[in-house]
Amino acid sequence: MFLRYVFPPHPVGFIPKEKLRGYVDGINPVSGKPLMPEMVEALTKPLTEEEKNPVIEKRPKRPRLLPPDTEENLYRLFIENGWTDGNPIILPTEERVAEMLTGTDRDPQEVIGRMSVTTHQERLEYTVEKVAVIAVMAGCRPEHLPVLLAIAATEIPAFPSSTTSFSSMIMVNGPIRHEIGMNCGLAALSPFNYANSVIGRAWTLMSINFGDARPGDTFMHSLGHPINYNNLCHAENEEDSAFEPYHVEKGFKPEESTVTLFRGWNYNGINLGPAKAMAEALKRQSSMGRAGTFIMDPLVSAHLKDEGFKTKEELRQYIAKEAETFPQMINFIVVGGQTNPMWALTDYTPSITVSIDEWIPKTGIKKDEKPIRMPQPVLCKDGICGI
Amino acid sequence: MTRNNVVTVLDPRGQPSGVFGRRSSGDNPGTILSPRVRPVDDRESMEKLQMAERLDTLEGKLIYLVDVGFPGSKEFLEELAEWFKENMPSVKVVYKQKKFDPYSDDPELWEEIHANKGDGVILGVGG
Repeated sequence: MFLRYVFPPHPVGFIPKEKLRGYVDGINPVSGKPLMPEMVEALTKPLTEEEKNPVIEKRPKRPRLLPPDTEENLYRLFIENGWTDGNPIILPTEERVAEMLTGTDRDPQEVIGRMSVTTHQERLEYTVEKVAVIAVMAGCRPEHLPVLLAIAATEIPAFPSSTTSFSSMIMVNGPIRHEIGMNCGLAALSPFNYANSVIGRAWTLMSINFGDARPGDTFMHSLGHPINYNNLCHAENEEDSAFEPYHVEKGFKPEESTVTLFRGWNYNGINLGPAKAMAEALKRQSSMGRAGTFIMDPLVSAHLKDEGFKTKEELRQYIAKEAETFPQMINFIVVGGQTNPMWALTDYTPSITVSIDEWIPKTGIKKDEKPIRMPQPVLCKDGICGI
Repeated sequence: MTRNNVVTVLDPRGQPSGVFGRRSSGDNPGTILSPRVRPVDDRESMEKLQMAERLDTLEGKLIYLVDVGFPGSKEFLEELAEWFKENMPSVKVVYKQKKFDPYSDDPELWEEIHANKGDGVILGVGG
């Protein structure tokens, strides 16, 4: 179906009335013609034959394999076609993709979703094998594949095409966190963990290639967002938290592994202080209204218990009342290494929590004989380091 | 595999599906965040959607200005209404705000416009 559009200059939000009137009396910056006569014409000019008989272009099916070439030329092809995030990738050869597919029992040709970063464009379809291709490109190993399949099956892109420049966050709960070596403790949100890094990046590459993100065409972030590179991928520190794990709060069993996707814009700094300070911070937060997710160190969760909040729900009710908002708009997750009782307020709200277990092979996570792990944090055990 | 060897790699791009759209449901506007529960449209059904015949003139017609909810839409449409008042005073304009978020359908509003014999709609402003 066609629609007739007339474009005023941007922005229209948060600008004086006089300027808006100038837009109305002025020129359509796209067509270069006076705006209001165009508006009237859009309502009165008879439909064209093309408009009466709309045809939506049918894009051809893509071949499974790209034409063979040298590694150097293919690497250039991926970058120049906009199929990467600009960082180096591992080329998805048949051999590497076949190995990646050992990370699940699912049929490689099973269609598991359709995605678009735009609201109304054609959604691109993908199979288990396509997710494995992305996993190879991002530098993943087969042990990471179940998490990526669970994320892909949500059909949610990491960065939908809003001019406001969305960002997203990934959090993993349950036993898989440790099985694949994710970090939920010290510096969990920093680039010191292999699994956190490549899983977060893979969602970005999925969003580019499955979501069909093409800047200026289907993707219109004005500023863009640095979090789009990795999507704050981490695991929750369930063991050191004074509260129940996030996925249990959402109705999953503790022994189930899940991934939760959050969306918003901002990671609003690091803060200290009790529940009252948390409520005040939420009250000041304006980008998403008074909704958000607190990311707190386990020490904070313990302090909040000492304050008298036995559960997250009690804390949620208190903060909602103090911040004059709705309890269901407030979320808490526990991450970090207990070196400082700090919390961060984000304007992220959860999109979905899904099980990872259905994507794990019946024989369990497919691990390498010697799994790749970055150095583990060296923690003070004897109390003499001053922390 | 040496640097100049020819290799074969798999295509990373998703396949065209003929499925479009991620409208959120008017019954549950929160579904904007979850495309799995949002209705979609396929190519064939979209091609069947026909544009309304255009009006021969706006003189004396009832035109609805429908605010989709992006910031500034209300204020912009108010200026649009002023323009009609000054330049085409015979056109009757009515401002309406669409329910929920900018992506949601609002069948009740479309019904209301039909019932009131609205002649045309200007929908805005895209964000």
